[in-house]
Amino acid sequence: MTKRKYLVLARSERTGGQTSGPSPEQMQQMFAAYNAWKEKFKDAILDMGDKLKSDGRVVTASGVADGPFVEAKEVVGGYMIISAEDYDGAVEVVRACPASNVPGARMEIREMTGAKM
Amino acid sequence: MSTPFQPRGPSDPASPPGLVEHYFRHEYGRLVAVLVRRVGLHHLEAVEDAVQGALLAALTTWVADGVPDNSGAWLYRVAHNHLLGVLRKDQGQRQILDGMADQELGDDASPVSPAFAGEVRDELLRMLFVCCDEMIPQESRLVLALKTLCGFSAGEIAFRLFTTEANVYKRLARARDRLREGDVDTQTPPLESLRARLPSVHAVIYLLFNEGYLSTRAEHAIRAELCEEAIRLGTLLATHPVGAEPPTAALLALMHLHAARLASRQDATGGLLLLEEQDRGLWDAEHLQHGATWLARAARGDVFTRFHAEAGIAAEHCFAPSFAHTRWNEIAELYAMLERIDPSPIHTLSRAVAVAQGQGPQAGLAVLHGMVPPAWLDGHYLWDAVLADLHHRAGNAATAETHRDQALAAAPSAAVRQLLQRRLSQPVR
Repeated sequence: MTKRKYLVLARSERTGGQTSGPSPEQMQQMFAAYNAWKEKFKDAILDMGDKLKSDGRVVTASGVADGPFVEAKEVVGGYMIISAEDYDGAVEVVRACPASNVPGARMEIREMTGAKM
Repeated sequence: MSTPFQPRGPSDPASPPGLVEHYFRHEYGRLVAVLVRRVGLHHLEAVEDAVQGALLAALTTWVADGVPDNSGAWLYRVAHNHLLGVLRKDQGQRQILDGMADQELGDDASPVSPAFAGEVRDELLRMLFVCCDEMIPQESRLVLALKTLCGFSAGEIAFRLFTTEANVYKRLARARDRLREGDVDTQTPPLESLRARLPSVHAVIYLLFNEGYLSTRAEHAIRAELCEEAIRLGTLLATHPVGAEPPTAALLALMHLHAARLASRQDATGGLLLLEEQDRGLWDAEHLQHGATWLARAARGDVFTRFHAEAGIAAEHCFAPSFAHTRWNEIAELYAMLERIDPSPIHTLSRAVAVAQGQGPQAGLAVLHGMVPPAWLDGHYLWDAVLADLHHRAGNAATAETHRDQALAAAPSAAVRQLLQRRLSQPVR
């Protein structure tokens, strides 16, 4: 059966205050959780992707603007590329990802056109 | 029990993906200690931020690429570069940067990483002495050690010490303020000159252990973890010439002998068990053996500290063949020695219990006869529980009942109340 490629964008709501982030012990738990997830879906994860820094540039017809983009309610914090037969399959992979279970997390899944494998 | 200082790196193939338990937390402590030594104590916060950043980077990178062969050096390099970046940005710190070794600044790609385990041990130990500086308020010392050396977050510390996160931050801020004020030279003194702080270091380790051991509120795993951390720091101290003194050995003996019995103090449902109800087969043989070894080392020299007395008492319990065959008179004598070193009505109360076991309830009551408990003990459940028990066994039913009611009313938790109910309703033997 044909597999399709999906781009996953990790969006999260802009947090007002600076949070202290996970503790070292929590990081170790996350590390274990990520590895277990990666192992379970190793055939589906085509590219683990990366995290994105919070600043950036926006190029438009009228010029270039520097980030951070204060008008945006959400920021894209990372991406990855997965494969699945359909959206149901893609959702299964993404739901199991530890990053999906962080409060405030919103994972957007978009099928890539013309990239059937 | 794991050994305190295993070689780092992707060491344990049995626990995929190659990180030992508490690896991140203990690396945090190691990196903070090493980097603080490089840039000075007044940069402690920047150091902690840099280490936190390095661990987060590891989380992402290592999930994608696997754990690098020399994970410790990887973390050190990332944290070191992060820290230099932050310090460079801060123009006000220019002088400090100038004071740092040029080659370190000019050669970010290969910063000098501590090569020898002994060097890391020294930095950790130095940090332990820094946390126990008498200039820092006592309640802040423990929190600072838990944060910097053990790698607990403020939230985790608050959870373990039954206080609020805001309170933990307040204590940390006080400690950091003191460190900034006091450490104008940015460098901590050599270890040898820190030897005078040894009693304060012992006190903090002892406090840390008791937070785990004596707590009746937290779940078992949390308590065991604090006990393990205390033993880890104590072992670190004992393996260095500066700390290898008989009181350190006595403290370690005491901690191991208590830790051996930690698991058996609770039943399957988390209820507390009396010593005589405990399954001695559950006592941890490895802890018992460590305890015996440290106790033998503690006996070298001619000092006798409260840790010696307490380790001696613990040893009597641990190595008694059964509850009935415990040498109660030896224990009573050790409590008497403890009272002389560290006078406290709690020790008197414990001695009365031991005397009652060895010589009968009347003899136990005689120890307490005429004793007026201080305000904090009067109304504490222990005071009434012991009196209830001794009077009950001595046949003074009415007095026993009064104390029993008071003890039950004052019990700090449901688990303690259940234990008291069971104990104080036993038939007289």
